Amino acid sequence: MFQYAMRRAFISIPILLIVLTLVFVVVRVLPGDPAVAALGDQASKEAVDALRARMGLNDPLWLQYLKFLGSLSRGDLGTSIISGFPVATQIASVVPYTLELTFAAVLLGYLFGIPLGVSAAVRRNSFVDYFNRVFSLIGLSVPAFYLGILLILVFSVKLRLLPVVGGGEFWDLEDNLTHVALPALALGMMMTAYVTRMTRSSILDIMREDYVRTAHSKGLSDRKVLYKHVLRNALIPIVALGGLYVVVLIGSSVMVEIVFSRPGLGKLLVGAIKQRDYTTLQSVMVFYAFLVVICNLITELAYGLVDPRIKYN
Amino acid sequence: MKRLVLVLLVSVIMMGLLWSLAGAADLSKDQALNIAFDAGDLKSLDPHRAAATADRAIVDMMFNGLVRYPPGNQVKLEPDIAETWTVSADKKAWTFKLRKGVFFHPSAGSPSGYELTSEDVVFSLKRAASKDTSAYAGDYSGITFEAADPMTVKITIDKPISEPLFLAKFANYAGGFIVSKKAIEAKGEDWFKTNPVGTGPFKFESYEPRQKVVFAASPKYFRGAPVLKKVTARFMPDVSSREFGLQTGELHIIEGLKEDKWIEKVSTFKDVKAPTFGPCESQMLYFNMSIPPFNDLRVRKAFSYALSRDVIANFMGKSLAVPIYSPALAPPALGALSKEEALKAGAVYDNNIEQAKKLLAEAGFPNGFKTEVIISEMSSSYQKPMVAIQALVRKAGIDMQLKVVDHASFHSKIRENASPIVYYASWRPNEDVFLTQFYHSDSVVQKGKKPITNFSHYGMVDANADAKTDSVDQLIEQARWELNAQKQEALWKEAQIKILKDVVSVPIIRLKYTFPQKSYVDLGYPLEWSWQTYSPQITEKTKILAHK
Repeated sequence: MFQYAMRRAFISIPILLIVLTLVFVVVRVLPGDPAVAALGDQASKEAVDALRARMGLNDPLWLQYLKFLGSLSRGDLGTSIISGFPVATQIASVVPYTLELTFAAVLLGYLFGIPLGVSAAVRRNSFVDYFNRVFSLIGLSVPAFYLGILLILVFSVKLRLLPVVGGGEFWDLEDNLTHVALPALALGMMMTAYVTRMTRSSILDIMREDYVRTAHSKGLSDRKVLYKHVLRNALIPIVALGGLYVVVLIGSSVMVEIVFSRPGLGKLLVGAIKQRDYTTLQSVMVFYAFLVVICNLITELAYGLVDPRIKYN
Repeated sequence: MKRLVLVLLVSVIMMGLLWSLAGAADLSKDQALNIAFDAGDLKSLDPHRAAATADRAIVDMMFNGLVRYPPGNQVKLEPDIAETWTVSADKKAWTFKLRKGVFFHPSAGSPSGYELTSEDVVFSLKRAASKDTSAYAGDYSGITFEAADPMTVKITIDKPISEPLFLAKFANYAGGFIVSKKAIEAKGEDWFKTNPVGTGPFKFESYEPRQKVVFAASPKYFRGAPVLKKVTARFMPDVSSREFGLQTGELHIIEGLKEDKWIEKVSTFKDVKAPTFGPCESQMLYFNMSIPPFNDLRVRKAFSYALSRDVIANFMGKSLAVPIYSPALAPPALGALSKEEALKAGAVYDNNIEQAKKLLAEAGFPNGFKTEVIISEMSSSYQKPMVAIQALVRKAGIDMQLKVVDHASFHSKIRENASPIVYYASWRPNEDVFLTQFYHSDSVVQKGKKPITNFSHYGMVDANADAKTDSVDQLIEQARWELNAQKQEALWKEAQIKILKDVVSVPIIRLKYTFPQKSYVDLGYPLEWSWQTYSPQITEKTKILAHK
């Protein structure tokens, strides 16, 4: 398994290289001058030119690209060309918040989605099934940021139960949990809906398998068949696609972070785009690509844990 | 007798105690203020580079100038770090006597802070004059600085200018802020960018990128220790998030939308008031005379006749939008052209569709024409007024297509001369800067000696078909070097009337600012004009009153 993981990690290097080249090009194709963005419209041409030179933007593109690659290979993500803050520090300060939000949403998704999906599948075409199907349809259709606004109106503005601004102190458990609750609910709704649908269809598929019929004919109780034979096999696609969905959640967290004014990679990225902060933008995009690769790798490795038939040779 | 004195003494002490207790009871226990700006992040903590609204408000809390615009009424200037100043007979040498007891915030080099001297002032001003360390270096060319003694600074200018123009360079705005020499020399410029050290009422405590900047009160502040213990400035680009924060009380002051309906809505929130204040950016429509058909005066005049400032102002909101007639800074700025003056000069062409059609026909466009204009995505300052303008000029047969781009792209495109009309909202510290940057030939985009924001190409083209290049360069320069303030104002107005008559631009409206706040926040001054920060200033007198 370790060898497999290493091989997969090695294969990921060219993928990351392609991504970071694309990011480098796309960032520079964007119209807008970072020096003007930084200095404002009153700045003289001399000041703008001086800042461009200091930012290294007057160097030829190939030289900027080589400098970018060189810095990355040394693990140096550079400093923001706008504020002068190290990008690595910026990313490090917000990553815990994004990961916390994403995993809280995943946790909520599995915690509520699996029981809902199971109940819908075993009571197919009943009221419970219809209710769950409508619920998951709404969950998938309503954008997370819109749901976030509704949650704020109810829980923060009307009931004054939970805060609405920022992410709180990360290491202060109470402060952290009160700040993450609403954003996680907003994002977790999507995941819950997704897991509910996946669980339902997966269980219905497995229930038609011969070995399930055999288990029933052996006289096993419905509960035993469901938990020992059906659910275990149904979990394989749920885990697989759920892992991939984490990547979607990280992307969807952008708007949730903005609505809740919460620190996070998404807020960092959007701010960098608006300010034409090339170094921050490049590094955050590369970090996103890195996260996607890692999530995919973890998902592949997780197959083996839930499905003993899979061997990593 | 002794007894009487004793009784009086005790009474005075008791009254003092009661008074102070009563005062304390009026204040909230938690003197931590949260203010949220419509910004994704700050761009710079360095006062000599700060340019955005949030940046200016943030550096204003930490730094002082030699003189300052008083909080809330920033039309005049008053002493700040300098206590008094004198000027030589030839108006070239200015001597500033510094205030004693001005302390810099503690920094790595000076853990308990140190007292400001002329060395710091000279160092700061030289830094502001260097293009390597300042975005405002151009403002200080031909000016030298010298520390005459530890508490006296001598500033010499090659070519004298009037007092209002001179002092504005040393006010608490842009290059005028005084920074700590010792801190920068000890730790370097790069360090200072993220660790600002000034003399203001609040000292820098921490910065979380794209989140917030936190300040603590500076107890040694020379105007007295601030009432607020802590100020947190948050960057919240989403207006609904700011609104929610204000409703829940997590935020005390928020940057608002420049929209009537929004202000009405926010004013209904519990414990919230939404005052509006000036001076506002002048929203102006500049014709690019290097691109046909706007090289033709008749077309520009027709376009102007098709417009109605009142209709646009009503569309933008009666409580916020004020029609303007000055093609530079609007009143009450010194030297700004009023409506009456513009009308008297016969330089107002608006609200006359028939005249517009007639002029278009004369110019060879009896059926109107089509044009595509690049415009910023920003709603209240750009898109919304342009939508109103689009509808108005359509009545005259002008089909104006709007190409909306993001704000950074907009700034690049208009400087590349890519749009036949530029709708621009701006404020500059005085008429000289405004007229120079928008109408002097040196400032013509791409082609000028110092290209900035002369989008119209005025000064490089024949604006009124008299086969001569039209310009206000001479008037601008004459005014700049005029030492008599009244004559200077007259010259500025003369330049503005010429600009209006040549229809180089059409002044449309100024749009007031609003920063809704909790009613239990006392800014410490009446807020009427906020020149240099575009936002309410947080000062040593700002406080949070007791509330439920």
